[in-house]
Amino acid sequence: MIKINNLVKVYQSEKIAVTALKGITFSVPARSFISIMGPSGSGKSTLMNIIGCLDRPTSGQYILDGLDVSSLDNKELARVRNKKIGFVFQTFNLLPRLTCLRNVELPMIYAGVPQKERKTRALLALERVGLGDRVNHRPNEISGGQKQRVAIARALVNEPAIILADEPTGNLDTKSGEEVMAIFQDLNREGVTIVLVTHEKEIADHSNRIIQFRDGLLVQDGGVESPLDARDMLARLTRDEEVSNYEY
Amino acid sequence: MNIKESIIVALEGVWVNKMRSALTMLGIIIGVAAVIAVVAIGQGGQAAVMTSLEKIGTNLFMVYARSNDSNTVTTADLITVQDVEVIRNSTTAIKYISPVQNRTIPLKHGKQNKRANTYGIWPDYKYIRNIEMEKGRFITEADEKAGRRVVVIDSELAQHFFGHQDPLLKQIDLLGISVTVIGVTKSDKNFIMGPNQTPNAYVPFSAFTSAIRWNYVGYIEASAVSKEATDTAIEQTKRILHHRHRNADKYNANSLLKEMEQANQIMAILQLIVGSIAGISLFVGGIGVMNIMLVSVTERTREIGIRKALGAQYRDIMIQFLIEAVVICLIGGAIGTFLGVGGSLIVAKIANWPPLVSPLTIMVAFIFSAAIGIFFGIYPANKAAKLDPIEALRYE
Repeated sequence: MIKINNLVKVYQSEKIAVTALKGITFSVPARSFISIMGPSGSGKSTLMNIIGCLDRPTSGQYILDGLDVSSLDNKELARVRNKKIGFVFQTFNLLPRLTCLRNVELPMIYAGVPQKERKTRALLALERVGLGDRVNHRPNEISGGQKQRVAIARALVNEPAIILADEPTGNLDTKSGEEVMAIFQDLNREGVTIVLVTHEKEIADHSNRIIQFRDGLLVQDGGVESPLDARDMLARLTRDEEVSNYEY
Repeated sequence: MNIKESIIVALEGVWVNKMRSALTMLGIIIGVAAVIAVVAIGQGGQAAVMTSLEKIGTNLFMVYARSNDSNTVTTADLITVQDVEVIRNSTTAIKYISPVQNRTIPLKHGKQNKRANTYGIWPDYKYIRNIEMEKGRFITEADEKAGRRVVVIDSELAQHFFGHQDPLLKQIDLLGISVTVIGVTKSDKNFIMGPNQTPNAYVPFSAFTSAIRWNYVGYIEASAVSKEATDTAIEQTKRILHHRHRNADKYNANSLLKEMEQANQIMAILQLIVGSIAGISLFVGGIGVMNIMLVSVTERTREIGIRKALGAQYRDIMIQFLIEAVVICLIGGAIGTFLGVGGSLIVAKIANWPPLVSPLTIMVAFIFSAAIGIFFGIYPANKAAKLDPIEALRYE
């Protein structure tokens, strides 16, 4: 699904050149659930932007779903973002003045999907993340976890090749975070490729594979032996909650 | 993304920022209303002036003796009744003609006293000026020939002197001479002269000159057989006068046609000046739109970043913001048109003009406000559409 070959990114300012990625090679097969980890300054965000087709590499090759996107122009990149990538952000990035339904419809508006079909598909996507009863709410009327689920519905509504999630649990409490991870795991089981960027080991352990970055280089790439199951975690959390309520 | 979607998105944008949109619109509203009102009031006023001038008759002209730099007028040059008679009998281009003497003098009835524009004229004057009678009759040839001491007054004078009594055959004192009222004309008030105009009275020329003890003609008033014949009629009149007085270049003519042209020109200039001032206010309104759109773009940087991440292209963002600007301008333009039309109708009603709001004016105002939206919207919209999605997403 993703093939990255000797990817280099240099940020050229007036006086100095900063090399954020120093030649990275890896690939992500379809139906994977992969985590990208690394401290800030490791080149993680730069890689995210390139994988998300928001930015172009200075050199090297990036093949997404069989298409070489390393040298596309802005217009073509916008089209690739629209059709092949679903973004999930740490800060949700929903449009505050639109209802959940309209937010989920957005990518389809830019894809030119007719209005009727758009509504049907948006409703389906919202049901899939368990928010079928919140379609006409605005983002400020729902909880953080629910916001992130709306964002996931928006990310998957155009049936993208990959879902790219940047610290999706960063602004959520543990329980909402596990709920979001449960949705990712469900989607992955249904065949969606997920690329997750995080700095929390516990969150990364929900995926099948972890790639570690440091100083613009890939330093570690390995499978997760027994990934955490978010549903188990949720069950445990609920049980703990009940116990503490009882004691109280 | 199609246009319909863009319009919906733009309307959402306008609706969410109601107060700000309304204030921005205000500039456009005032500008458009001002332009429409100025044009409509100008056109209405012009039409009103023209109708009232045309009512008098476009064939009308006046000829009088006048001194200029190289010439002085002596009594030998002054026009006489005999001149007018010769002109009447020997020209072909003149339909009606009358010598005129006029004085603003006090008329008296009993203890009442009223200043009036009093004209010594021939019966033709009625047709030259389209004077309409309310009561009795106008001066006749017989009155003139016999030098009868009769007077025709306008309804205002009649009201002043006689109230509800019948004014006919009542006596009025004119410079110590008693004259008999034989007719009452409709008071011809029109807005050009304004209110409180001096009332009019008409006396046979012969009787009037003997009353004022001055036998010469003040000026000749005549109407040509047609509008086109006016110049010929003027030429013929002047030639006869010059021939009979053995002089040259002593007489001058004014024709209504010429005056209408002048009035038209002056009004066109006035309209242009006031119109440009109104246009400036519309321009300032447009700058207001640009200002607000720039603020809006900065404020919504993150929104733009999100939209771009979700696949919006340059074109989509450009159209979204452009349509937002155009929508603000069009709504403002519609309200402004409404106010401008309403305002000019009220003015027309008060001033008693024909209401003149042409569909063309409205169309132009509308197209113009859309054009302002596009013109002042392009810069902010381009700024929005060019934003780098990564920077925009990072914007707090």
